[in-house]
Amino acid sequence: MTDVPMERLDVLKCLAELRTDEIVVMTMTATLQWPLVSDHPLDFDFLAFGMGHASDFGLGLALARPERRTVVLKGDGGLLMSLGSLVTLGRHGPENLIVLLLENRSYEMTGGQPLPEGPDFVALARAAGVAGGGLTGHGTVARIETLEELAEALPRILSEPGPHFVVLPVQTRHPLPPVDHSDHAGRVIALRNALGVD
Amino acid sequence: MTAPEPPAPGVSAALTVTTLKRIGMTHAVIIPDSESRLLFESLNADPDVMVISPTREGESIAIAAGLWAGGSRPWVVIQNTGLMEAGDALRGCGIGPRVPLRLIVGWRGYAGAQAGRLPIDSAYPYTEPLLAAWGVPTWHLMDDGDIGVLGAMDEAAATASHPAAVITGYGFRP
Repeated sequence: MTDVPMERLDVLKCLAELRTDEIVVMTMTATLQWPLVSDHPLDFDFLAFGMGHASDFGLGLALARPERRTVVLKGDGGLLMSLGSLVTLGRHGPENLIVLLLENRSYEMTGGQPLPEGPDFVALARAAGVAGGGLTGHGTVARIETLEELAEALPRILSEPGPHFVVLPVQTRHPLPPVDHSDHAGRVIALRNALGVD
Repeated sequence: MTAPEPPAPGVSAALTVTTLKRIGMTHAVIIPDSESRLLFESLNADPDVMVISPTREGESIAIAAGLWAGGSRPWVVIQNTGLMEAGDALRGCGIGPRVPLRLIVGWRGYAGAQAGRLPIDSAYPYTEPLLAAWGVPTWHLMDDGDIGVLGAMDEAAATASHPAAVITGYGFRP
């Protein structure tokens, strides 16, 4: 285990370079940096849609759109707000769902207050039945700590049946740009249009 | 000659499932409770319905919103107590983004209050005022004669592109 977390912007770049037609749902501070590396009609900014529920929304999307993959970028603080969602992922997660947990051990969006010490999110996901679980029993759980490992693993994660739950320890030294999060209804309509939903 | 037995309270679960399928429900996102347990069983027994059972009501609402964004037509079945817990999800995934979530809400406390049983369940008096405060229109589903409210609510939610709710006071029977 390395003591130096990955730079989050580098993690996002790595994903953006490999992403093709996946839906990408992001929340909290990932919504501020993802637009720096991606401008895609299937990007969905979940900020202000309900704290802790980005992966639940992603689960619904993945079930509704089995022909493509859904990738969720969420934080560890958000996961703590809805830990039961890991159990739901282990039971109902479809094979086209990928949850990337950006683990920075803080509530970064509100000023960096530290999370409670101790939660092992890989162990929690395994205990919740994600590994070997999901609708088809293909669920995987992993922790990836370096960009080299991530670059090697992501093509497999983006192509093999899941659901996949991957913990990515991250930090950020980059200033976070402002983003307009105001148009909630417009975001949903734009996503439905991009998906060809009437 | 004795008077005929009054009909059993509640709504036929089988009739409810048939009606929901007829009006296009694709997924049922349900956390069973005292009012909905027989509906839960009927939904799970129907091979045409995909049933998702999350662990908490906020999850239910976010999952349903994702399903709708992807083009499905989910219905959410939760109890009023869980609805109260799920307020942020309802705000964020339904009301704010104008996602037409269809909710069936079990009205815990209603039957007891109607029968005059004391103490009144504190979940009872807040249910309708809370939904009204959120601007969520509501219909009552108390017996089989009310089954048409499912279609009315479905249409209203679609027309307004906004969450709407049917409230069940006596739950479901086989």
